[in-house]
Amino acid sequence: MEVGLNHYLFVGAVMFVTGVICMASKRNGIGVLMGVELVLNGANVNFVAFARYTALGLDGHVIAMFVIVLAAAEAAVALAIALNFYNNHLTIDVDRGDELRG
Amino acid sequence: MDFNTLVERVVHDTTQVSLWLFAPELVLCVTIVLLLFVRLFNADRFIPTYWMALLGALVSFMFSLTQFYQLRTEVLDSSTFFTGLLVFDQFTAFFRLFLSLFLTFVVALTVLSGIPDEEDGPDFYALLLGSTIGMMLMTSANHLLMLFLAVEMTSVPSYAMVGFLKGRKLSSEAALKYVVYGAGAAGVMLYGLSLIGGLLGTANLPEMADRINMIVSGEAGMSDATVRTLMLAALMVLVGVAFKLSIVPFHFWCPDAFEGASAEVAGFLSVASKGAAFALLVRFCLALIGDPSGASLSNMYVSLGIGIGVIAAVTATFGNLAAYAQTNIKRLLAYSTIAHAGYMLMAVGALLVILNAPADSGINVHTEAIRCIEGLLYYLFVYMFMNLGAFAVVALIRNEIFSEEISDYAGLSQQAPALCICMAIFMFSLTGLPPLGGFFAKLVIFASLFKAGTVHWSMWAILAIGGLNTVFSLFYYIRVLKAMFIAPATEQSKRVAVPTIASAYIITVSVPVVLLGIAIQGLSQTAQDVANVILP
Repeated sequence: MEVGLNHYLFVGAVMFVTGVICMASKRNGIGVLMGVELVLNGANVNFVAFARYTALGLDGHVIAMFVIVLAAAEAAVALAIALNFYNNHLTIDVDRGDELRG
Repeated sequence: MDFNTLVERVVHDTTQVSLWLFAPELVLCVTIVLLLFVRLFNADRFIPTYWMALLGALVSFMFSLTQFYQLRTEVLDSSTFFTGLLVFDQFTAFFRLFLSLFLTFVVALTVLSGIPDEEDGPDFYALLLGSTIGMMLMTSANHLLMLFLAVEMTSVPSYAMVGFLKGRKLSSEAALKYVVYGAGAAGVMLYGLSLIGGLLGTANLPEMADRINMIVSGEAGMSDATVRTLMLAALMVLVGVAFKLSIVPFHFWCPDAFEGASAEVAGFLSVASKGAAFALLVRFCLALIGDPSGASLSNMYVSLGIGIGVIAAVTATFGNLAAYAQTNIKRLLAYSTIAHAGYMLMAVGALLVILNAPADSGINVHTEAIRCIEGLLYYLFVYMFMNLGAFAVVALIRNEIFSEEISDYAGLSQQAPALCICMAIFMFSLTGLPPLGGFFAKLVIFASLFKAGTVHWSMWAILAIGGLNTVFSLFYYIRVLKAMFIAPATEQSKRVAVPTIASAYIITVSVPVVLLGIAIQGLSQTAQDVANVILP
């Protein structure tokens, strides 16, 4: 069987859904951030696959490169914020942040 | 074409054309680099960093003003630059003007209110300016990559700014919630963008409408798999934008982030990121529709417009209902922000409905579409002053009484009359009472909703909900004023002595709110011209 566009899109979709489930169900802050990475990389798989098989061409590759860099930057800020949360709450459980409500 | 010509062409395009058009952002970039270098050489002991930030914001504002003027006098033409990644037209220039003016006001406010302290100044202003550059890029994005990069460039510094107050439990909690929701929304948005780019085979916004028409030429409707996937992808992108706009059901972060952040940061986020996100939303929607007369998906876009209108009505209602029960002023203003995003989103819904009106509907599509965008721009401009003013009053009073509870505002009007009178102006304008700026802005949006109602009756229902909301919102705004003016001062209340310069700042911000309600012609005409440029 020849591997084609649809197979790559399927992998991308699985990564996306896994990431969304991970974001929604994890209580550990780091786990949620891992879910975000999965979603971003699922989109990246799409971009690269489309770049190979459709008229999107080089644009797709370039977008994927930028997203990789951006995901790193976002992870750096998010981890710093998670560390700050840990310093103040002595836990990384996102459900324990419940003082802001109403 | 050989390699050398290619390089020469890119260099020429960058240095001769693009850099000048990019000047307002470039000034902010240079300021950020300077801010970080100053710390390296210990020069921040001698020059306070806020002067540098203020200067950078002012110079950026001057450049934006010059470019806007040049566009209006046709010295410069609308064009794309940086090889088509960004677009430069009156719409871009208008929003750059809006953002750089707002940035100047926010930096001035941080100078007066003393957040951040001397030591953190360079970091804070670097984040603030970086976020503003992201917003400016959002308003000029012409390519899916730029669209996503700009949204992220806006978001990532704002996460850090929300968590900027050191050693505060609430601040760290707010930042964590904001970053988790924000990153999630950005991920969904990127996935939507990947589907759009792949299905249409282009990442350029102006080419999208033609490609859509090519795909759906003939009788393809919702039953077609490609069309359905495209719609799904567009909805995913709208999720990302809706998060930035704090539209129900993506509003959860907004009250928490605003309560945890300092009032200055909350004021900045509530106005600037909304303005930029609305610019992006309008551009994206117009790119999807393209030339409305040739669009083969008119019915679907009318449904999309009605859907956006309904969500807008729900958002406004929810924001106003939730604001009613708040005791913390920042939280109240956060819910009021959500409600105002709802009002402004109604204009976008009306725009979509009107642009795709069937030919026999008997309305002048072009004139009415201009009215929708005019309403949105006018609203944003007034909103900038009135919401910034309200948050500035909160920040300045916090410096005096160290509290942000509404009940602690009791009897404030005797001690700080100027501040309280200005707060009354902001609150009445936020409600939309004549003769203040907020009234005319709401009037234009409601008028365009009324016209959209002739295309589809549901817009009249949305208009009615909007009107009811306006009346209802008066009650909770009045509650703040009641605490300030009528409730007697308690014995524990602290002595309040607001510095004269701070009062002068608040009065300066309140003047445009009044003026824009009386002298409407200038801004209204400008907004119409700007709208005329971006409509097909």
